[in-house]
Amino acid sequence: MGGAAVPVGSADYNAIAEWLYREAAMLDRGDFAGWLGLMAPDIAYEMPTRQSVYPKDGEGFTTSFGFFADNYSSLETRVKRLATDQAWAEQPGSRTRHIVSNLLVDALDDGPGGGEFLATSAFLVTRIRSDLPYDLFTGERRDVLRRDGDGFLLARRTLLLDQTVLKSYNLSIFF
Amino acid sequence: MSATVTSLAEGRLDATLADGADVFDLVDAEGGHVARRIYADAGIHGFEQERIFRRAWGFLAHESELPNPGDYVERQLAGEHVIVIRGDDGVVRAFLNSCRHRGMRLCRADKGNASFLRCPYHGWSYGRDGGLVSVFAEELYDPEHLDKSTLGLIPVDQLDSYKGLVFGCWSTETPPLAEFLGDMRFYLDILVARTPAGSEVVGPPQVWEVHTNWKFATDNFTGDNFHLYTAHGSVAELGMLPPDPMSLAFGNLVHVQGGHVLHIVPGPPIPQAEFFGVPNDLRPLIEDTLNPLQAELARNHSFSVGTVFPNLSFMQVMVQGSLDSPPTPFMSLRVWQPTGPTTTRVWSWLLVEKEASPEYRQATYEAYVRTFGPSGIFEQDDMENWEECTRVNKGAVAQRHNLHHGMALHLPPDPDFVGPGTAWPGSYGERTQLCFYDEWKRWITVAHPWAGERG
Repeated sequence: MGGAAVPVGSADYNAIAEWLYREAAMLDRGDFAGWLGLMAPDIAYEMPTRQSVYPKDGEGFTTSFGFFADNYSSLETRVKRLATDQAWAEQPGSRTRHIVSNLLVDALDDGPGGGEFLATSAFLVTRIRSDLPYDLFTGERRDVLRRDGDGFLLARRTLLLDQTVLKSYNLSIFF
Repeated sequence: MSATVTSLAEGRLDATLADGADVFDLVDAEGGHVARRIYADAGIHGFEQERIFRRAWGFLAHESELPNPGDYVERQLAGEHVIVIRGDDGVVRAFLNSCRHRGMRLCRADKGNASFLRCPYHGWSYGRDGGLVSVFAEELYDPEHLDKSTLGLIPVDQLDSYKGLVFGCWSTETPPLAEFLGDMRFYLDILVARTPAGSEVVGPPQVWEVHTNWKFATDNFTGDNFHLYTAHGSVAELGMLPPDPMSLAFGNLVHVQGGHVLHIVPGPPIPQAEFFGVPNDLRPLIEDTLNPLQAELARNHSFSVGTVFPNLSFMQVMVQGSLDSPPTPFMSLRVWQPTGPTTTRVWSWLLVEKEASPEYRQATYEAYVRTFGPSGIFEQDDMENWEECTRVNKGAVAQRHNLHHGMALHLPPDPDFVGPGTAWPGSYGERTQLCFYDEWKRWITVAHPWAGERG
């Protein structure tokens, strides 16, 4: 999925960076319904499992198995579930910070109408519940953003977590 | 037969905790009471490691994780690091993952393929069969001080498999796997070996860590079907469970033997829900593979969740992965590995019939990952409950008061149930949980828990 690099500071780069910051703010403020509105109808939202392997065997990711394998409908189901008052894992809710950094953007020439960008970034997500210690999640996001009018929709998000054994009791938040 | 305190005239082991309490007194299976302390106590954790996890058979791997010679995975058995590796002869073996020289952890990857297991410290190398092959600067040893034939990797004391499930045991006294599983094999056939080719893993296990005592997980997986409409109230509210909270109360709770327990529950009376909801192309294979009694149970049921004592659980359920998707079955295996008195490492494998179509493999994966595992819209709430139960039960004042396991204890066994074991009518009840705790107590307090008269 190679494409032309979109220079840091260019109009498209800045627009995508702002989109990611606004998306992170929506997640951290708990505006999940608004966040769902950023998803393309054909969104593929995935977090493959990872294993610790020797370098000769690659990075250890499994493409066919993971912690998330969502489409629009299942993301919508998650959001509707959180809106009930019985989703105990988020009653009271997680307090999260989605820190998005190291953004690199490439224009993809194979998207419909040439309007797709590959945005890779590093993420640091912190989660606190109750009076418990921080849960820390780090990794790489590989996002495909599709131009939609003046903005973008998220067409694909692949979350490459650094942890092989999740040091967290659940993944009741979005990444 | 019912869950009662076992007769312990002979072979009692001392199970006294630091404050003088006897573990024997912490479970009252007859009265339906369990002490909170069993979920949060370092002394009990020590007894469990010594008397349960270093004596009982524990699940290590599925054979399909090791398709080729030299394939290995690293696992833990009673907290010890173990390499499970397939030899050139096709045999799966398991060894302590520790070099005989300095004890170095030999294999430091979760999985891989190796011709030799070479220690990264001083270079001692072992073959796929565990034998010591070479030693660095071998010519400098007096041969009397280096008998390589005695310096192979330390094997797991007993290793065996049943229908693709590889188990290990750190005791030579424990009866063989077939005897340990006993009639549970009847049910395992239905769950993991119901087609001619059997089952295989869909991917590597999901592994995650929960601040809970492992027994809250087994408590949930030893027949707790009645938590559904409360713990998973959010999903019920969305209409992803039948509206009547009593509609999943049918079926049976079964104590098979030796603390191996399950519930088995019919689904809605529609053909789609038969055979646990698996696709039509697999159903004739199931009928041809299982014996008539097993096939009858498979045909008439949609759900089964249970536990092979002590900490291997399974769940065969059908569930909607999202509001607009049809109920789809999945079969997951779990190991609840205690890593301390109040911490547990969870291992979850997804299994599918080897004959399954690519479409069904994808569908069963999506159904599983969207509903269970750490991100699942069902299971994330289970772990919330298990962590907070554990947290509060640590309290000395809390521990003055027992927990209540009293549902449906008055019901006599169901004479019409066709499978082996003792079955009680209905799937809402706490009988099987008490059978599990009674067995748990037996292993901690008895010299040979697998032998002799049972309650």
